[in-house]
Amino acid sequence: MKEAAMKKSCEAAVHPVGGAAVIELTGEVDGGAAGVLNAAYEQAVESGEPGTVVLDFARVGYINSTGIALIVSVLARARAERRKVVASGLSEHYREIFDITRLSDFIEVFGDLDTAVSQLAGPAA
Amino acid sequence: MTSVARPAPRRLAAFAVASEPGNERLALAQVAEAVAASGLPPARLERLKTAVAEATMNAIEHGNRGRPEVPVDVEVTQEGDDIVVAITDLGGEHAPPGPAEEPDLLLKLEGEQQARGWGLFLIRNMVDAMQVRTDGPRHTIQLTMRGGGATPVPHSGGLEGGGHEGSGHEEEL
Repeated sequence: MKEAAMKKSCEAAVHPVGGAAVIELTGEVDGGAAGVLNAAYEQAVESGEPGTVVLDFARVGYINSTGIALIVSVLARARAERRKVVASGLSEHYREIFDITRLSDFIEVFGDLDTAVSQLAGPAA
Repeated sequence: MTSVARPAPRRLAAFAVASEPGNERLALAQVAEAVAASGLPPARLERLKTAVAEATMNAIEHGNRGRPEVPVDVEVTQEGDDIVVAITDLGGEHAPPGPAEEPDLLLKLEGEQQARGWGLFLIRNMVDAMQVRTDGPRHTIQLTMRGGGATPVPHSGGLEGGGHEGSGHEEEL
């Protein structure tokens, strides 16, 4: 029998960009990412009251169903606080999963972080 | 009636993983390796990997209840152009995890459904067919990815919370 898999735990870096807060995620977004993601969201909103939270998945290699549930929880909280959530850097596969779960109906998806930030700074934001 | 002979299944891999959190990653990696030469297009391989990971996670958590000494068996076969992955736990007949109702994102956002409950929904939407069967303690979920590049149609309704009818149930997706 194989030994337990080597996990790449989730890490998050938070930084403000204009009126938004960017959460750059690295590693795996699964049930084990709950503490990191929730703490990152807290950090993102506690300074500057951003109107938009950007979740950047460019360095994320794996998202599972419990990770999807975490993203749903972040989105639910942001909506309750009247903040917008956008996503960037999703692979084609996870973009498809955002479509299937309808997350993309509530989270605008951009190809990469630069595009997301430039769109947020522009008149269409 | 004319019958069409199906090619004999060819085993590509058979292995077991311990029922420990995170071992679904091992299963998906080994399945991906086993089917690498099968010609499965990359996008469909990604779908299969997600389905395998979710089914293995269910087997670990809900079938074997996280007991590391109880294995999850994984068998990968090729039947003609089809890839079939069978994932077996020793939990016997057990209800699929998650809420009885189909996951509804709006209800989840409004707090009327739990945020969790996406696993079976993802599996059904990732593969072309899913079959569940129970033989004594052995509970198997069989995932089929058809050859020829068929694309699963987004699915609503079905097995979530009620798919175990008798000893087996197949859902063509």
